Amino acid sequence: MLVRMAWRNILRNPRRTLVVTTAIAVGIAGCVLAMAVNIGMVTDMIHTTISNGLGHLQVHGPGWDERPELEVRIEGGREALAPELESLSGVQAWSTRVRSDGLVASPRASVGVAVIGVDPEREARVSEWSTSVVQGNWLEEPRQLVVGTELARRLQADLGSKVVVSVQDLQGNLTGRAYRLGGLLESDLGAIDDATVFMHIRDAQGLFEMGSSISEGVVTVIDDREIPAVQSELEARLGEAFEVRSWEQLEPVLVYMIEAFDSVAWVLYAAVYIAMSFGIANVLMMAVFERTREIGMMRAMGMGRVRVMGLILMEGVFVTGLGLLAGIGLALLGVWALRDGIDISAFAGSLDDYAIGTRLTPVLRWSDLWDPVIIGAITAVLSGIWPAWRASRAQPADALRHV
Amino acid sequence: MILQAVEVTKVYETRGVTTHALDGVSLQMDEGEFSAIAGPSGSGKTTLLNLLGALDTPTSGNVLLDGEELTTLDSAALAGLRLHKLGFVFQSYNLIPVLSACENVEFVMDLQGVEAGERKQRAREVLERVGLSGLEDKRPPEMSGGQQQRVAVARAIASRPRLVLADEPTANLDSDTAKRLLELMAELNQVEGITFLFSTHDPLVMEAAQRVVRLRDGRVVDDGAGNHG
Repeated sequence: MLVRMAWRNILRNPRRTLVVTTAIAVGIAGCVLAMAVNIGMVTDMIHTTISNGLGHLQVHGPGWDERPELEVRIEGGREALAPELESLSGVQAWSTRVRSDGLVASPRASVGVAVIGVDPEREARVSEWSTSVVQGNWLEEPRQLVVGTELARRLQADLGSKVVVSVQDLQGNLTGRAYRLGGLLESDLGAIDDATVFMHIRDAQGLFEMGSSISEGVVTVIDDREIPAVQSELEARLGEAFEVRSWEQLEPVLVYMIEAFDSVAWVLYAAVYIAMSFGIANVLMMAVFERTREIGMMRAMGMGRVRVMGLILMEGVFVTGLGLLAGIGLALLGVWALRDGIDISAFAGSLDDYAIGTRLTPVLRWSDLWDPVIIGAITAVLSGIWPAWRASRAQPADALRHV
Repeated sequence: MILQAVEVTKVYETRGVTTHALDGVSLQMDEGEFSAIAGPSGSGKTTLLNLLGALDTPTSGNVLLDGEELTTLDSAALAGLRLHKLGFVFQSYNLIPVLSACENVEFVMDLQGVEAGERKQRAREVLERVGLSGLEDKRPPEMSGGQQQRVAVARAIASRPRLVLADEPTANLDSDTAKRLLELMAELNQVEGITFLFSTHDPLVMEAAQRVVRLRDGRVVDDGAGNHG
């Protein structure tokens, strides 16, 4: 009966209930939506970074972590990894690369670049570089390069132009070779577009005089929740001669960003919930004051203080519950309305360095819905305590005299 | 003896002004009585009724209900005592507006922990007893003053109290309605043996009461003990 009374009591002054539930709903919807957009952005960044060469896991020679240089290599080459990676369940695709720094020069300009030698066919299964090609092709012929359109612009070179790539080879000798630009690509990552040169892995092994050695193996897994399991299995199989690193270990900044967004969300929630608690407390105080006589009567009938408190707290929980429901409904509606993403291409140039694409699609995690509900319920109870306590202290004789 | 007040005094202090609402009132009441406390406004009727009903505590003196000294009980024990031994009818009905007539009657039984099925059945019986069959689902704002006061009476007796205290129950009713309400309560007293104590300045109530205790300036000027029985 107490529950029924609490529910009907909040409907006694529908306008007041509507105002406070609307305030709660808008606050919660704003928080959830802001969180979804943030998470969408981070998810997009993670996806962009993973698909732009990071992969889910990378295998290197020992010491790469401290010294990611040409000398830290896998001397056995592709064959050193193939047996283990081919037979490992959970692996979706894998490829090998040679990676170092160099200088690319056209007759008009020269630019410092990362030189990446890839197995074109296998690479197409672990990264989106091959599909980012907008002109020409993806390393279909030897002694050809693929570079970003931005790098081509800086070199003032076009498709088919000849450029020279100069590097320091494995022995430390300066060496250089001429290549033709066979393809131009556009990715979402500034570093790829501005300062990376792709060549066939055999060309790279030749250029760096490193035989069949490779710099790294890159692995994608079927289900990204399986990354830790695949990583530890791979570590066990490959032994100490190799270093296996997950994308989180390779790009800790991304992980920090997710954590930072979570912290920002909590600050946002705290602000909304504090405002909300004042709203709820105010509504309940008004309700208690208006019903002083009624509460006095209930106390006179023998209703205990705990029950009176329970009644008022329940009213707070109901008002908050309505607001939370409406807020989550509103947030879901917002996420649905933005399902095709928000066009941020106007900022695309300045966002390239951060691996953010041109569309921002909100991503809603279940925890982002549950958290506000749980904290909302706690807020409702906390903000109801004072009004409820006040109500429960009513002296029946005094309260009954209240007009 | 169901109720006893011994030398009860109640003094209010408001902004430095001391008011002696009750000054050494002693009173006894037996089971089955149908009595009234009468007196002009400000004579201390409501104050006395509040003290007898464990709604307030005396400045000095004592009140015994069923032999239990109220001044020795804490707030929770007093609430329990009101819940199980007393029924209240107020001048302005004081029904819970969000509950239907039937739910209002069930309210006290719910507090007593009576199981839902029995509660509903008893509430319907009592409402029928006070002549409100068919109005069970109406909420207070949909009912007349007389009907609301009947619901209040039904609520007071449904919990099977030892004593019903009614504070000016007819004050807001026209005389016909007041008369019918009094007849109902007198019948409940005679047929079911429910003890009633009113505070009133309504001649109709005084006429209906078997015993009238008269108060003036916080003192009993006539305890009417000779008239009753």
